[in-house]
Amino acid sequence: MSEITSKIKSIHWQRMMFILLMALMVAGADSCKSTGKMSKKERKAQIESAKLQLQPIISGTSTLSYDEQKRIVNGIMDKNLNDPILNDMIIQAQQKLKTLLAEQTQANAQKVDIARAALYDLLLNKDNKSADELEKELNAIKRQNLNDTELNDLMARLEKKIQEMRSGGGNLPMKAHLENAFNTIANSAKTGNLAQADNTIQKTLQLFTSDDALVLIIISREGDIVDYDKPTNIKRYLNLLKDTKANKNDIDAIVNDANGKIKELDLIKK
Amino acid sequence: MRKTISLIILASLFAVSYRASAQDDLSPKRKQAIDSLALEKVRDLSKYISIIGDKKTPWSDAQRVIERAAELFMENSEIGVSSLGKQDVNYYKVREYFDRLMQLNYDKVSIDWYKIQYVSDLVRQPDGTYVGVITVYQRFQAYDKEKGLVYEDTTKKDITVYVKRKETQIGGRLIGFWDVMLGDIRVKETSK
Repeated sequence: MSEITSKIKSIHWQRMMFILLMALMVAGADSCKSTGKMSKKERKAQIESAKLQLQPIISGTSTLSYDEQKRIVNGIMDKNLNDPILNDMIIQAQQKLKTLLAEQTQANAQKVDIARAALYDLLLNKDNKSADELEKELNAIKRQNLNDTELNDLMARLEKKIQEMRSGGGNLPMKAHLENAFNTIANSAKTGNLAQADNTIQKTLQLFTSDDALVLIIISREGDIVDYDKPTNIKRYLNLLKDTKANKNDIDAIVNDANGKIKELDLIKK
Repeated sequence: MRKTISLIILASLFAVSYRASAQDDLSPKRKQAIDSLALEKVRDLSKYISIIGDKKTPWSDAQRVIERAAELFMENSEIGVSSLGKQDVNYYKVREYFDRLMQLNYDKVSIDWYKIQYVSDLVRQPDGTYVGVITVYQRFQAYDKEKGLVYEDTTKKDITVYVKRKETQIGGRLIGFWDVMLGDIRVKETSK
């Protein structure tokens, strides 16, 4: 016991404290290194994780957007993990992202083309869609967020047209409106209600630039050869419907003037 | 040199005649379309005649319909009128026929055309006009306020139809249309 006590007493406590302090400093410095410079184990884990993240990007199976994928690749590059396989995978992922971007740009350009064509069709409104129908299709195009100057201009023009159609009253497509009128005239005359036929004629004439607005009736269309009946005007045509008590033609095309009035009506034999 | 010029002229003539023949040869679909168009004009005429003869038709309407009906005919065309009591058939200029029809001295007149069909198909003539004959049966009934039905007959009539392709410029466009014109309406037979 006295031997142990003498040994303890022989220890240079000041030296011991210094050594302990140094050891703590070294240990402390080492733990600081773990945030800036990771351990081998951590590095290996991060490389594996990065590889897992890159794999779907390289194989093109990632469900993430282009921007998200790009952010992942950039994040991995920033870590500077310096692994040859991982570096190779990063290059592959970057190439894949380049292809993806090119595809997306092309797809976007196609969407813009399709939307542009659709907007021109809607502006011409050959199918005589109602204001509501036009607006529905306009909104579908808007939802694509194509962000193209020309498209934005076309969409603004279409919005204006829709507003004009609504302010002009009657949301029924012009084609349907005319077909209703033609059937009403023919059927009213058939049932002997000539007053209603005449009233409908007067109302219908107001949709046209004048009583003399051109009416063409296609009797045959074969390739680029179109055969017409003798050209007539709308007043005569409406009276023909009343006199013959039958609506024998379909509407093929409606041509409006700048004020939205019909200046030409093309019909085709049913 | 002369040979070359002759060849060029020959080739040009061939090209012109070939083009003209291509225009002349109507496809069955186009031919059917003009057949139907001519029949339709006759049907329109039948409706016009019915309106003109109807005593309930207002005068202004009758005048308008007479205008439209007269426009269907070629100039100087005539329409035959027959009756059961007379052997002779009287022919009147189109406008006179319509005026007389409007002024018939009955309280009620009913005129119906039926069995409207071709008896002679449209055939192309050298000048490019298609000519055919359409036959119709007309049922005529005349009524008196007190006596009721006082006269009726059925007349078979032949109408010559002329169809010619014409062109017109409308708003800078060349429109090719078929002009259907009706010729004389000849009485073929009259029966009770």
